[in-house]
Parts: sequence; C-alpha cells; structure tokens
Amino acid sequence: MMLAAFADPVFDSQRTFRELLQAMARPAAPRRLPVLPPSPAPITPAAMAILLTLCDATTTVWLQQPEQEAVRHLRFHAGLKLTEKPQDADFALITEPASMPPLESFSRGDLRYPDRSASLIVQVDGFRTDSGARFAGPGIRDTQTLAIDGLAEPFWQQRAALSTQLPLGIDLYFVTAQQVVALPRTTRWLES
Amino acid sequence: MTPSYNFAFLDEDTKRMLRRALLKAVAIPGYQVPFGSREMPLPYGWGTGGIQVTAALLGRDDILKVIDQGADDTTNAVNIRRFFARVAGVETTEHTVDASLIQTRHRIPETPLREDQILVFQVPEPEPLRTLEPREAETRTLHALADYGLMHVKLYEDIAQYGHIATSYDYPVLVDDRFLTSPSPIPKFDNPKLDRSPALMLFGAGREKRLYAIPPYTKVESLAFDDHPFEIQRWEHRCELCGSAESYLDEVIVDDRGSRMFVCSDTDFCGDRRAEAQA
Repeated sequence: MMLAAFADPVFDSQRTFRELLQAMARPAAPRRLPVLPPSPAPITPAAMAILLTLCDATTTVWLQQPEQEAVRHLRFHAGLKLTEKPQDADFALITEPASMPPLESFSRGDLRYPDRSASLIVQVDGFRTDSGARFAGPGIRDTQTLAIDGLAEPFWQQRAALSTQLPLGIDLYFVTAQQVVALPRTTRWLES
Repeated sequence: MTPSYNFAFLDEDTKRMLRRALLKAVAIPGYQVPFGSREMPLPYGWGTGGIQVTAALLGRDDILKVIDQGADDTTNAVNIRRFFARVAGVETTEHTVDASLIQTRHRIPETPLREDQILVFQVPEPEPLRTLEPREAETRTLHALADYGLMHVKLYEDIAQYGHIATSYDYPVLVDDRFLTSPSPIPKFDNPKLDRSPALMLFGAGREKRLYAIPPYTKVESLAFDDHPFEIQRWEHRCELCGSAESYLDEVIVDDRGSRMFVCSDTDFCGDRRAEAQA
C-alpha cells in the first residue's frame, strides 16, 4: 500500500518552505523542519518534506538509491521527472553520503545563468554546533560553527575546489531526522 | 477571506516555481533569477513582482505590513494589504515592529528590522545596467564577467558634469563583492540599511520576470570613488510633525499659495514618535 504525503499540502509545504528559506539565508545553522510526512525507505521523512515542497513535474530529480517503492511514491505524489544522469538533475537526493558521486558530477550552472545548478539533499547522521568547522559568508554575522556527522572527508575537498568557480556552484541541504542545515555555494569553510 | 481562491491567490505549482527561484536567489546574492511571472489582478507596475513573492511566502501565522513610499495609507499599500486580507485571510498591521512580512515600494522602514522579519521589495527595473545597455543578452554577459565599468563611467560622468554623483535613488550597489544590483528605487538615504541587515531582503520584478535577494549580514556596498565617497541625503529641516532629524523627509505642498512643510516619509515611525511625545 502506498504511503500518504503531506496531510495539509498547501500549509505543510508553505511552513517547510519558510524554514528552508531561513536555513538558506542563515547558512550552517540547524533549523527544525515543522512537518515530517511519511516516507518509504531509503528516503527519510525530512528529505521527503523538502522534495514534496520544492519538486513537481517541472523538476528533474536524481536519486542515489532509486528503490522501486521510493520511486513510485515520488512519481505519484510529486509527479517529478527522474533521471539516471546526475548532471541533468535540478535536485539530487543523497541517501548514502559515504558512497556519493563526486560533487563535480552535478550541474554548477553557467556563468550567464548560475541558478541553473543542482541542489543536493543529503541525508546525514547528525549536526553539532559546539564543535567542528567554522563557516563564514553571506547570511552569517560573524562565524558559525558546525560539524556534520556522516560525511566522507573528500566531500569537503571537493566543495572547496568548487568555490574557485563562484558564482557557479552547488547548493546543499543536509537533513537529519528532524533538522535541516543549508550550505549555499557562497558559504566559506574557514578551518576546523 | 474569499474561499474561491487558493490560499494567497496563486496556485501551488506557481508557488513552488517561485520558491525554487527564491532559494536560488538567496544562494547567489544579488543575482537576478528569471521566473515565470503570472498575470495578477493588478497591472504590471503596481507591484506584481512583490505581490507574487509575498504570495509564495505567506502563511496563516504571518502578519503583513505594506508600505508605499514609506506610507501605510497610500493607494498601492492599502490595495495590496486588502488583497492579501481577502485571498489569504492574514492579519495585517501598520506597525513595523508587529509585522513578520513587510512588502515595500521605494522605502526601507526607519525602525530597524529584526532577524525574524522579511522585507519584500517591489522592483520596476531589476537590471541596474539597463539604461546603459538595453540588450539583455549583453547585460547577462557583463554580470557573468563582473564587468561593471559602464556603471563606473556613468558615475564618473555625473561628477564631470555636476561635480558630484547625481543619482539620488535606485543607487547601484555591489552585493557580496560580486553582483551589481539595483536596490529598487529606494532613496540612496536607505542604502546603508541594506548593508549587513539582520532581516532577509527579497526583490520581485513582475513585468521584467526577475527576482533576487540580499541575505542577512551580507556586505552591500554603494558604488563610489575614493575621492568622491558615497553620501546620503541630508536636510536642513526637521520633520514638522514629530521633530525627527534622522528620518527621510518628504516635502509636501500644503495650500495653493505654495506653502510647504517637511514630514517623515515613514508614517508609522512618525506616528509612533508623536504618540511617545504625547505620553
């Protein structure tokens, strides 16, 4: 039997969007997602909330683990297009960050249209704000401290390499069970 | 609330399109994101860009304030406020401190904004280079290359001709040291409020089908030269109603013999100050 999506689609997606907007406007600061819809494995409810809020028939999505049940669920509730090529994706869902493809396999936009770039939703284990790396950039008053559990080391090297191509880049949403952290392309990793 | 419309007038597909564009706009500060502007029950030029951004943001708990040239009681502001009260049933206010969402035409409120507030600007022409280069394909390329020499030449020609930079509103800014951006036709008096603002600022241009953003705590620099630094307007007068010497003043003609007075353009700020003085 198929699971349900948002119980109250108009307001659940509106409330989720406002958290995502504040998350993107205040990078590296965890925010609580207000609504967690049912979701088939391997997609977590937090990642599903973002997909249902932002994706529809006009967006192309790449799934790292396109399990049959998850694919059926997304096609039915969001009507989104799925792709097998990461470079074609508007949104990509990373369900196993340890084995994710390199960041440069996703679209970074082009210089006239840097917005035509991928947004990645990455399911991670947890956030810590009392230790970890320091981040700076637009949206951050001084610096913001954040550690993300469950990310492989090469990820940060790949992201640092992309930063030389600004304003081209990839925007990231990390989700745990209930929280979301956004890292837009402009957020700089200072040091550990 | 009028039940025959979807909440906040726009359909959900349109809101999702706007929301995706807004998130990219915040991720690339000052860059103009194209979006599919919809026909609204107001003509282009009446704030349809701002209205569509507001509609994509609005929730049941929001308290909306709308200003036009700083005033809550002007035609454009009253109509937009009433529009959202009808199609979204949201609470509206005239007090800056009570609002969670403020839509504005041509001013930034005098009362400092907070982190939990969002400011939405109505923008007639989002492209700061448009009067200097009419072709969109060309201005896109200039932004791609961060080639803003044209604008510096324009400001220099002002100095050569008038002895100072004559641009007094829609004064061009550089956001996060990268994108040349129009602050919308706010007076340059308000430009310093854009720099490292605690509140998120979103800009919508309905006719031109572009939206852009300045995230909180982002460097916003008004263009200038070392020997001609950026300066804001100053008045010899104080507001004749509240006595403020710090706010942006409008010159109002009060009779048919040419008498005039200077008053705050921000009606809520002025009203609060008068109420405080009486208390």
